[in-house]
Amino acid sequence: MESFSRVDIFDTKGIEYLFVIGYLLFLIIFWNVANKHERIIKQIKRVFSNLSAGILRIPQGLFYNRFHTWAHLEESGEARVGLDDFLQHITGEVRLSNLKIPGEMIKKGDLMTQIDKDGKHLKLFSPISGEILMTNQILNDSPEILNEDPYKKGWIYKIKPNNWKSETSSYFMAEEATKWSIKELERFKDFLTGGPMRKYSTEPSMVLLQDGGEIRDKILGDLPDEVWKDFQEEFLNFSK
Amino acid sequence: MNRELNTGVFKFILNELKPKGKLITPFNIIALITIMTAAWILFIRFTSGLGSVVDADQSRPWGLWINFNVITGVAFAGGAYVVTFMVYILGLEKYRPIVRATVLYALLAYIFYAGALLLDLGRPWKVVNPIIGNSFGISSVLFLVAWHFILYMGSLFIEFLPAIAEWATLKRQRKFFASLTLAVVIFGIALSTLHQSGLGALFLMAKPKIHPLWYSEFIPVLFFISSIPAGLSLVVVLESIGQRVFKENMSFLHTSSHRKIMFSLARICTISLFVYFTMVFLVFLHGKNLSYLNTPWGYWYLVEVIGFVLIPCTIFLYGYRRLNLQMVRIAASLTIIGIILNRLNISTIAYQWYSKSLHFPTWMEVVVTCAVIFVQLLVFRWIVRRMPVYKESPSWIKEDMENKSFKIKNESINLNTRREKWKVSAE
Amino acid sequence: MGVDRRNFLKALGVVGSTLTMGKTFGATPEKTKSDIEFDGILFDSTLCAGCQNCEVVCAEHYGFPLPEDVPEAGVVRETSEKRRVAINSFNTSGGEFFMRKACNHCNEPACASACLTKAMLKTDEGPVIWREEKCMGCRSCMIACPFDIPKFEFNSPNPKINKCRMCFELLIEGEKPVCVVNCPAEALLFGKRRELIEIAKARIYADPENYNHAIYGEHEVGGTGVIYLASVPFEELGLRNDLGTVAYPEYNKTFLYSVPAVLVLWPVFLLGLSSAAKERKLKSQIEEES
Repeated sequence: MESFSRVDIFDTKGIEYLFVIGYLLFLIIFWNVANKHERIIKQIKRVFSNLSAGILRIPQGLFYNRFHTWAHLEESGEARVGLDDFLQHITGEVRLSNLKIPGEMIKKGDLMTQIDKDGKHLKLFSPISGEILMTNQILNDSPEILNEDPYKKGWIYKIKPNNWKSETSSYFMAEEATKWSIKELERFKDFLTGGPMRKYSTEPSMVLLQDGGEIRDKILGDLPDEVWKDFQEEFLNFSK
Repeated sequence: MNRELNTGVFKFILNELKPKGKLITPFNIIALITIMTAAWILFIRFTSGLGSVVDADQSRPWGLWINFNVITGVAFAGGAYVVTFMVYILGLEKYRPIVRATVLYALLAYIFYAGALLLDLGRPWKVVNPIIGNSFGISSVLFLVAWHFILYMGSLFIEFLPAIAEWATLKRQRKFFASLTLAVVIFGIALSTLHQSGLGALFLMAKPKIHPLWYSEFIPVLFFISSIPAGLSLVVVLESIGQRVFKENMSFLHTSSHRKIMFSLARICTISLFVYFTMVFLVFLHGKNLSYLNTPWGYWYLVEVIGFVLIPCTIFLYGYRRLNLQMVRIAASLTIIGIILNRLNISTIAYQWYSKSLHFPTWMEVVVTCAVIFVQLLVFRWIVRRMPVYKESPSWIKEDMENKSFKIKNESINLNTRREKWKVSAE
Repeated sequence: MGVDRRNFLKALGVVGSTLTMGKTFGATPEKTKSDIEFDGILFDSTLCAGCQNCEVVCAEHYGFPLPEDVPEAGVVRETSEKRRVAINSFNTSGGEFFMRKACNHCNEPACASACLTKAMLKTDEGPVIWREEKCMGCRSCMIACPFDIPKFEFNSPNPKINKCRMCFELLIEGEKPVCVVNCPAEALLFGKRRELIEIAKARIYADPENYNHAIYGEHEVGGTGVIYLASVPFEELGLRNDLGTVAYPEYNKTFLYSVPAVLVLWPVFLLGLSSAAKERKLKSQIEEES
């Protein structure tokens, strides 16, 4: 207790506080990074509730192809194309981009349009070849039409086809289309549990999906970019 | 487009500035008179010095403003960190209806009470010194408390920003602010722990001047623990008053879940008051101050500890078990008085207890203290009548809120029909 | 000068290791020492005649009004916002004695520790000075000081704190405080604290009948710069004996040392708690919906 010169028992407090501030910032970054996978899993887990395949709308008179786009030949000889109910149910409300302008020629398998949601996107490829006659302007102002009515008001292009018969010969129609849609739902469930869940979860995927669990509406809409990329490559381009 | 936006914003602000209730009410008149008197008193204080207005002298340098508004008032703003802890950390949705009001009240409390600290400074214009780094007195507890006040005000403000964004229909901003909530709540709880105990630590060096029954090295811990029942009791009182005063502004969810929330808070208050009493008793044993009990100061100490800590604890328990809301409110009021007593005892009543003179605050101090509280309440009322604090949030946030409010609606409807069942399955 | 390479490296190692470990666990830190030793004042109450010359020259030097009252037994004279040193008279068991009351310039002052703007500063040389340009007028120093020395100008719109500053501006010029220089009874002595304690002890040993066998301020409140000798118990001369020997800033130590720890531990604990709570909620939600 004898002291004859200056001491300061609190002199390092300043540095300590600065260090603590740095630590807290680091903690925020660390927490976000460490939890990215956790968050994806949580989102997938959270979305399982009831939606039965009966609600999926499948007009019998359209041609559907494996990439979930449809084509329909009008009486006037023009064809309309768009995306099907399955796809819009899964993505939810989106915006279209990379649209073609009237007069352009498009070939089957070319990039038809890109659907965007919150920075995530999916590429859609044209089911037929021909000349673009019109793009649907309504979708610019009211993109929700695409979800409400993907087959009538929500068409994407009017095309003058130059090879209708041979290109659509392998597509699904009528009852075949319905059966195929149901199978696609199953395949999507498998995709979810096999793909993203496997990639991001450490749990065995068996545990997550109970028997009979159906997939919720707009499920892909909430999931992050990585899952959209996986969906594009593994699910949509499956048979490419 | 821009001009349209500007006139739109302008019209919106003009519309919001219009008074939304009767202008001539008893409350408004009393508040106005108090505030105007206080303004005149403050003018005197700033031109003639503190001593002309405050009952403070060389041996008792702190007056009512810092002792009551800051050291006592901030304890009552402790409801915010407890309630945000329960809602955002523990995920107890049942308390969600009161979160916003509690956070708003605490935000205003810190702004105005910590602001009242400025009034008690001899040279308020120098208050920037410890903030701009000109001279960080890092060994000082008051330095820590001041910084924490500022940081905590910021945290509370960010917590409240989603409500402001909803009021101003800023959808993207609202989502952004809501994403910050967890981080800011966690930071706020750590800060609260420290500055609630810090207010007590201010007196640690005044050991020779505070009566031994009240002084101990554990003052910071006691201050922190007592801030929990203090804050929650104030929430009980405010909600009870608010149910009547702000009836038109309350959502159905808010009014229907009121009783349930009050009883749950009563339970927490019972436990925390009991814990606080235990700590006080432990400190008493540790201090070996038995001989002081049989003195006038000792009787006063017993009045505070038994009359205003132990007794409200039992009344809370009684009210909770018998589902008697009136008892809960009485217990809350007693707790509030008890905490005020405790804080005032340490800071002024039992401070310099050996000097023979009695000291009372001047009427001018009391008027200014009341004026600060009035201003706080007026701002609170202004905000509550316009922003979604008691009201429901606008419908465009339905995606976020749907899941969360669903469960509470069900539980609160159950309460009104089956009281027996509720008691058992509470929480 | 005393700072050679070995000592420097030693200090660095100790400071480094205690920074990383010692502080967070609340261990007593290695105190960083400066080389300058404290100055101090020795007041020998057996010699003080109560002439108040110290009060007069102090008031003249700093521009305060001259004292108008004289020390009188039974009347306690205090320092004030206009007076930095006060002499009091006491009728003790050994006769009438006079005691000086002014800032004791503690080794680890409570006032400097409590000051949040560093307006109260313990200088390396020893005196505790108040710096006007930094002071906010919060009066924490008054709450903290165990001797109740700092006095505040309550009736001024631009208030100052008033207390003895050991004529610091003269000390750094190499001169002595005016009260010491002008004491006719030579009751005041100025010098290095270390030397003054030795001188005080020497006086006690030389005349043990005449002196109380203790130096007030040697250990009180962790040691003060102004030390007192008396021939009667110090309490009879108005000096408190219940202030303890712990330096007052140490009372804040536990609290202030735990601040960084709380800021580090609470967030992690709360994050874990919130994750666990969310996990439970999700699980129960899934169970409910299936």
